[in-house]
Amino acid sequence: MQRRISRVAIVSVAQTRLRPSWDRLQHVDLIGSAVTDVLKGTGVTMRDIDFVIDCGSDVLDGRSISNCGFLGAMGGHHKEESRVEEDGLWGAVYGVTKILAGPASIGLVVAYSKPSESDVSAYYSTLADPFYQRPVGLNHRVASGLAAREYLRAHGLDPEVLDAPAAAAWRNAAANPYVEVADAPDAATVASGGLVADPLREHHVSRNVDGAVAVLLAAEHIAERITPAPVWVTGMGSAMDSQMLTDRRPGELEAAAAAAGTAYRRAGVTDPASLALAEVSATSVAEELMVLEALGLAPRGHGASLYGDDSPVAVNPSGGAIPADPVMATGLVRLAEATRRLTAANATTSRAVVHGAGGIGMQNHCVFTLEV
Amino acid sequence: MSQLFTSPDVPQVLTTTLSIPYTLTPGGAAGQFLAGLAERRILGSRCEPCARTVVPAQDVCGRCGEQTPDLVELPHGGTVTSWTAHQGRVVAKIRLDGADADLLHVVAAEPGAVEVGDRVAADWAAEPTGWITDLAAFTPGRARSGPAEATPVARAETSVEMVPYRLDLTYHHAYGPYYGRMFDELGSFSRLMGSRCSSCHRVLLPARAICDVCFARTDQFDEVSDTGVLQAFSVIHMEFVGQTRKPPYVYAEIVLDGSSTRLIHTVAGDFDLADAASTLSIGMKVKAVWKPESERVGTLEDIAYFEPVIP
Ligand SMILES: [Zn+2]
Ligand SMILES: [Zn+2]
Repeated sequence: MQRRISRVAIVSVAQTRLRPSWDRLQHVDLIGSAVTDVLKGTGVTMRDIDFVIDCGSDVLDGRSISNCGFLGAMGGHHKEESRVEEDGLWGAVYGVTKILAGPASIGLVVAYSKPSESDVSAYYSTLADPFYQRPVGLNHRVASGLAAREYLRAHGLDPEVLDAPAAAAWRNAAANPYVEVADAPDAATVASGGLVADPLREHHVSRNVDGAVAVLLAAEHIAERITPAPVWVTGMGSAMDSQMLTDRRPGELEAAAAAAGTAYRRAGVTDPASLALAEVSATSVAEELMVLEALGLAPRGHGASLYGDDSPVAVNPSGGAIPADPVMATGLVRLAEATRRLTAANATTSRAVVHGAGGIGMQNHCVFTLEV
Repeated sequence: MSQLFTSPDVPQVLTTTLSIPYTLTPGGAAGQFLAGLAERRILGSRCEPCARTVVPAQDVCGRCGEQTPDLVELPHGGTVTSWTAHQGRVVAKIRLDGADADLLHVVAAEPGAVEVGDRVAADWAAEPTGWITDLAAFTPGRARSGPAEATPVARAETSVEMVPYRLDLTYHHAYGPYYGRMFDELGSFSRLMGSRCSSCHRVLLPARAICDVCFARTDQFDEVSDTGVLQAFSVIHMEFVGQTRKPPYVYAEIVLDGSSTRLIHTVAGDFDLADAASTLSIGMKVKAVWKPESERVGTLEDIAYFEPVIP
């Protein structure tokens, strides 16, 4: 008789360091490192793993169905393996769902990125409509610049409101051993940075980095045998906005709010601020504030208030996606970061919200709620 | 000349461009929109249930999913609702008069000279061809052409049905330690190096860190012979994008002596390709024919082809 699975846990996470360029390693080297490490100390061997789900981008990787070439490095030989051409957090949704559905007990979710090998602007422009949007120069920077202007304008804010959150992100990243930061800019340095996509400056926009991340998921009856501190997935949700940038509501991220709504309903979260740890993704600081507001952590227009010392929510203690955005792995890195913090000896909270995004102008959103 | 891919000073990368041809099909509303541009007309579509006009024209309302076949011709003037400047180009959302959604386009102005609320007008290319850049840009000021207000129009006779398109993407692939050593050996010594699995002891070519089958680490490099056994072959007659040689040729899988994996290469030699199927056989011995030393560049193309070894 098949066991009815009621809960799924994250039982191990591992990742490479995130660096602007791992120019002496291939994708398979980064993936192999994260996957080897995620099994360490778990008692789980590759033979025990029922399925592998991997997330990356063929366009970024420069080869079609790139997972075929990377399969060995993630232990996918003759296993049920699936590729999700989306951020790794969607891969985690797939993995959790597979285990909840019953036929699998332990699954491996992998996401990786080497944007240093390609032109990230070209990657984003391939996501845009080829008739109307691509020829006029739409890419992730243009989308972020437009979103930032609309956000600031909708709430009567000055661009300076973005400087302190950006400085906080870089400061946190500099303290994170998993992120390579040579020199974290302070708020004054952020404010004097060159304009990249007016009104956004150099340190307001995400920095692309290379890296790989692996997450091991297990059904409840196995999770508790693997680790004394399983991190339970209590809710998941995802949503997508209109493909046409001009068809989305300016100044907010409706699809992020919809994804959070689904996850919160499932988790029974009525007060989002009770999720005292938030690891969220964004391609610019303005969009990071919009995400925090869509997650219900701050009133609209007040996302920047969450970066103060008296904030009820720890926002991106890892530094988040602005200092380190391994496109396609960013959301799964957030899941790994939140897991490490929830299970740390000095953890200050037992509940977290994790967010991943994809598409041009953050069209797609995925939200997890976690609990220890 | 040999190239040290694992040189400690400069990480070596393979720079390559994927150049992919497409024939894009705009379809109903988009085809009409593009055809309209060739006549210096800007066509939108109207969803009656949403009471909403969007531009460019769309076949399906993005809000409610309603099919929206009603086309409207829009004025050529509008208002900037948002803008950014990236790499010297101002890209803006423009709300054309009579539309309920913005059009994304370029504004020909200095970044400091644009404000939300500014009036802008279409500036047409001298010879429109049915592409979005027929709208060369929007420029500050009042419209000099176009209807005074949104006007329903009948479905046009003409539609852009196909657009030739090409995507060029350039990559700088890292060799990494295993391919680095392998191509160093190939370039410097014209020898093929695989890596041996610590668990199943198979020798894997190309060399890699982890055995695909065992998920065990490889623990040593092993030289692989340039002779081997033909495992499979096919005579390729058709031409396709990305081909490195002209058909016909023999595409083959070869298990080199000392390795456990199959190498993809070509088989040629002193036989007529028309007779390939009878001349070649699975299990046949083959041997690498190397290019002259002066022509070797440290890639698998240094082997011109494999030729049958006739005992
Ligand atoms: Zn509608
Ligand atoms: Zn092996």
